[in-house]
Amino acid sequence: MKRWHDLPLRTKLTLLYLGLLSALICLLGAILYTDTKHFLISTTALRLRAQAKPVIERWFATGPGLPAPLAPPSPPSPGLPPAPPSESRQPSSGPVEQLTEDTAVSLSQALTSRDTTALVIDNQGHILATGRRLPEEPPAAPPDPQRINRALAGENEITYIDIANGQRTLVVLIPLRRTPTDPRILGVVQLNTPLATIDQILWRQRLLIGAGIIVAVLLGALGGLWITGSALAPLKRMIATCKRIAAGDLSQRVNLPRHYDEVGQLAAAFDDMVAHLEKAFAAQRRFVAAAAHELRTPLTAIKGSLEVLLRGSLDDKAAATKLIQGMYREVTRLNRLAEQLLSLTRLDTPVLIHKEKVNLAQFLNTVVQEAKLMAQERVITLNPGYPIVLEADPDSLKQVFYNLIDNAIRHTREGGKIEIGWGKKHASVEIWVADDGEGIPPTDLPHIFEPFYRGDRSRSRRRGGAGLGLSLAKGIVEAHGGTISVESSLGKGTCFRIRLPISDPERG
Amino acid sequence: MRLEHSQSSSKIGARILIIEDESTIAELLRTGLTYEGFRVSVVSGGEEGLECADKEDFDLVILDLMLPDIDGFEICRRLRLRGNDIPIIMLTARREIPDRIKGLNMGADDYVTKPFSFEELVARIRAVLRRRGSAAEPTQLSAADITLDLEAHEAYKGGKPLELTPTEFALLELFLRHPRRVFTRETLLNRIWGLDYEGDRNVVDVHISNLRRKLGDRERRLIRTIYGIGYSFRPD
Repeated sequence: MKRWHDLPLRTKLTLLYLGLLSALICLLGAILYTDTKHFLISTTALRLRAQAKPVIERWFATGPGLPAPLAPPSPPSPGLPPAPPSESRQPSSGPVEQLTEDTAVSLSQALTSRDTTALVIDNQGHILATGRRLPEEPPAAPPDPQRINRALAGENEITYIDIANGQRTLVVLIPLRRTPTDPRILGVVQLNTPLATIDQILWRQRLLIGAGIIVAVLLGALGGLWITGSALAPLKRMIATCKRIAAGDLSQRVNLPRHYDEVGQLAAAFDDMVAHLEKAFAAQRRFVAAAAHELRTPLTAIKGSLEVLLRGSLDDKAAATKLIQGMYREVTRLNRLAEQLLSLTRLDTPVLIHKEKVNLAQFLNTVVQEAKLMAQERVITLNPGYPIVLEADPDSLKQVFYNLIDNAIRHTREGGKIEIGWGKKHASVEIWVADDGEGIPPTDLPHIFEPFYRGDRSRSRRRGGAGLGLSLAKGIVEAHGGTISVESSLGKGTCFRIRLPISDPERG
Repeated sequence: MRLEHSQSSSKIGARILIIEDESTIAELLRTGLTYEGFRVSVVSGGEEGLECADKEDFDLVILDLMLPDIDGFEICRRLRLRGNDIPIIMLTARREIPDRIKGLNMGADDYVTKPFSFEELVARIRAVLRRRGSAAEPTQLSAADITLDLEAHEAYKGGKPLELTPTEFALLELFLRHPRRVFTRETLLNRIWGLDYEGDRNVVDVHISNLRRKLGDRERRLIRTIYGIGYSFRPD
């Protein structure tokens, strides 16, 4: 037997639902059954009382004479105490004053029918007469002295079921009063009616309820399986999709028709998540492929040079020196590449930005002074705007401007102009680095911030760039909560614009 | 135009034009191939390369695919369009199958991807030259009265076959390719036993002495010991 937690959700839900269903149906059946039973018994008792009442009233009013000649006195039932001898044997036709054996016989016979037998009991608890004369009339239950006493004490509605001789008998006790308001009780009439018919009805009812429960539970099980199955089908589909994705196929989607129930929302959210992951992985793969390619070129040169040296060229001092110098250049390139890769990955951790107050005019002045040292015959000018104080990390911001200026130097001719300036725009400052160089082809413009992207691979590689400078600049600016954009026209020049938020505009 | 020629000192080897813009790789190819006995010219641009290939008579072109001005595929196509049937080996970092197929369809004779093994590149250059029946890459090497049949891998001295182990054959081939060159023991180890050989360095001396015995070179006049340096083959 599997543990409950390991069962499939479908089975669990169905079982829970079935349990609830059968409990409810059983409860309902039980209520229905007991209610029917009470109803049948109480209506029978009511009918017996209703039938007996006029007979008793008439008997008291007209006297026992009328029925007396019809029925011979029946022998007392065995086991019963012998009836006391009758004192006044008057077949009177007047109102009955006393309850005697003779009068009792006529009363009991008047009350007895095919399904009811009456016993007349005097106020001492003795049976005076029984109305049973024919064998098809039901036998009477033996009187219960306690209940008889309660009836003699004046309790009107005593009804109970007696089980004797393997038969259930409904017993109704009626105290005998001359008039309904008379406090004197002369005796008790015990009406006995077998419950065979009622029992039969109740048995059929039990059968019906039982069968109903079984059928309902079976149908409920089937329906429950179907309902939970159809509700869980999308989940099964998601599991299958998940497994395929886990196996490495990120292009898989659940692709449920868009229903706005919970499962539909889950599937849609899941698909969105996988789409994002796929994009991120593709970007990562492209990045790694580009990085590997960048590594491969210098490594090829180094490996080839070493091979050539070891295969004999080491003996030629001049050739060997040239090769070794080449290898040194390649190693330097690898080193720079590694540094830039590291800076690029470091940007993912926001801790790296240590913000402090930066006076923009002062800061850019320093940057331009230092940049002039590497300007190589380019004219770098600073075009100051309003004094502004920024909250920024000066070291990484310096890196941004060096990268942009270095980029500008590499893409302008000797004597070209590079201008740096800034202006305030709402709650942010815009700083630009513009050159009058060769410009960037429109097809390259959307890609220049991607790592390792180079419009013209060979040429810029010879110029020493790995294609990481601009993506690094973008990463740093974005870590400051700013944006970087570029405009360029071929042959006329390029302008990079950096927009940084000013945290405290009052200081401007 | 900047053309640099490096002549093999001993004999006339195949003339190879290298079109490659990565300076370090160009330099190692120049040095390495010159050492192997080829005559090497290096240019760094496609236009330059085309001009050079038209003007001078080369036996083979080594062509980088990623050049600053013209794509390597385009250079290959233009050369073939002009009816220039010079053998071409493409050398590139593009290692995808479609690129290789494109290169070969453009009329390249072989396609070598970076990073490449220099030894393999040399072998491929020789194979392409032999396949094209170039006079600069003979199938037989002879010196003194020794003849090596490179295709059949057989050696003869005075018309009589020599029983050589593969290592001895490789040593003899190296000596015959570069007569009079002095090889250090390290160079011989690196070239014949491989760059990752880490065993006993005396194997060189053992094999040289075996080779001398088989060549009947008791006076050590063919394969001379250069004291303190290494060995040199002197057929004259």
